Amino acid sequence: MGMRSSAVKDMWQKGMGGLILAAYAFFCYLMAGISAQYVSLAPDVAFLGIKQDYVHLGYYRLAFFVHAFTALLALPAGFTQFSGFLRKKYPLLHRRAGYLYVGVILLLAAPSGLVIGIFANGGWSSQLAFCLLAVLWFVSTLQALRYARKRNWRLHRDFMYRSFALTLSAITLRAWKYALVALFHPPPMEVYRLVAWLGWGLNLALVEIWIWKNSGRAGSLFVWFGKKA
Amino acid sequence: MKYLLLLVVSVCLLACSDSKPAAANETALPAENQPVAKKIQPSEGCFLGAFEADKYRETEVDYYLSNKITLCVDRIAGDSVFGHSVVAGNSRPFRGIVTEKSEVNLTVVAQEPGDDPYDGAFKFVLIPGSDSLAGIWEANNQKLAVYQRKYSLERRVFSYDPQLDLPERVKWNLLYGTGNPYADAGEFLTEAVTTLNPSKEKLTVSQVENMYRGDLEVIRNSIYARHGYSFKNRKMRYVFDHVDWYMPYSVDVRDQFTPLEKENIALISRYEAHAARYYDSFGR
Repeated sequence: MGMRSSAVKDMWQKGMGGLILAAYAFFCYLMAGISAQYVSLAPDVAFLGIKQDYVHLGYYRLAFFVHAFTALLALPAGFTQFSGFLRKKYPLLHRRAGYLYVGVILLLAAPSGLVIGIFANGGWSSQLAFCLLAVLWFVSTLQALRYARKRNWRLHRDFMYRSFALTLSAITLRAWKYALVALFHPPPMEVYRLVAWLGWGLNLALVEIWIWKNSGRAGSLFVWFGKKA
Repeated sequence: MKYLLLLVVSVCLLACSDSKPAAANETALPAENQPVAKKIQPSEGCFLGAFEADKYRETEVDYYLSNKITLCVDRIAGDSVFGHSVVAGNSRPFRGIVTEKSEVNLTVVAQEPGDDPYDGAFKFVLIPGSDSLAGIWEANNQKLAVYQRKYSLERRVFSYDPQLDLPERVKWNLLYGTGNPYADAGEFLTEAVTTLNPSKEKLTVSQVENMYRGDLEVIRNSIYARHGYSFKNRKMRYVFDHVDWYMPYSVDVRDQFTPLEKENIALISRYEAHAARYYDSFGR
């Protein structure tokens, strides 16, 4: 009996794992499709069609294309890091994928995200949301790197959770938008202002709650910019 | 002196162009010539109103039952009548004869050239000097969904006026209402549609970025409507046929746009295209 129930549980876990993996792969595929729209580097394609007031700025275009082509890499690179199996069995792979994830975000995706966030559609509210997202993404990823190098695995894990929650906003922001439009048909900029916050805010809140529950005060918001482990 | 000159021009036109389609003359004539022509021959001029289905097949839905038409009697010479009509994106010349002439009215029977599948024959009565014209139109092809139409039109002189705003009632237009199988899914008009006049003011990004595609489409097309564009697009006819100032007068108005209107069309088009492709998709 006990054997059987543990076998069922095992199958259930494997099934769920497979389902999550498939869903994640599907969303990564959708994201790759979005990035692929920009390979022509044309200044009026897709989203750039409604950024015509800024595309004449060389640094805006640079930041935009850097973000469109590099931020994507953080999705698969980050996802692999949560596998306990990979961490134990292939620690080198974990470390290399980790450096790819951290390097892409710190050197390319977060700084470029900040630049395009300054010019975000929808006025000061969404500009603030996207700039804050870029800063928190950078800080959480940097902190995760620092704690890894200090071999403080608990805080490394906590900050990677935060960082990845923000990375996932690429998917959740667009998913929220899709759902809100399908359900309520709001005007385009109103939904944009809303998802600019909702897209990453909810992810981060959930992760903070989880960390707080699992680590107590030491894992709370106060450690965000702190130096001590 | 000016009056005399215009008179000479008008007489010359009467004398030397009976074989050309009347439509070409009408568009070439500057608007200021029209009042003079009216004084000489009060039957001539343009008449505006609904071109309503009179006989039609029941199998079709009712989208075609009425279109706004401009019917112009360009010239009457003796018993010959030359004119053209503009309706649903189609400008067609016609020529015919006065079949009955009484103290008070003229009865005209006229044919369209016959090389267009929607050509037919007009029969109408007009009272010289009055402001109305009424009659029927029969399609050459009696198998058309609507093979006979009727109309009761009123005299109107076309003029472009950038100050004309969309009336409040536009936003209640049944185009986007439920039960219209020709409206695109999810499209409708809102309060915002009457707030902007792109023929009058330079539009900004912040004015258009929060607008639905349906509103943007109507606002952009209001520029065309002010210039008297006759819409092929059925949805736009639904909207503009119900606007009192709208007069379909030409099937190509692109060279009439002001620089301001061209800029606004470019801006609105970008947001329209973006809304069409990305508003309800997984993306931004």
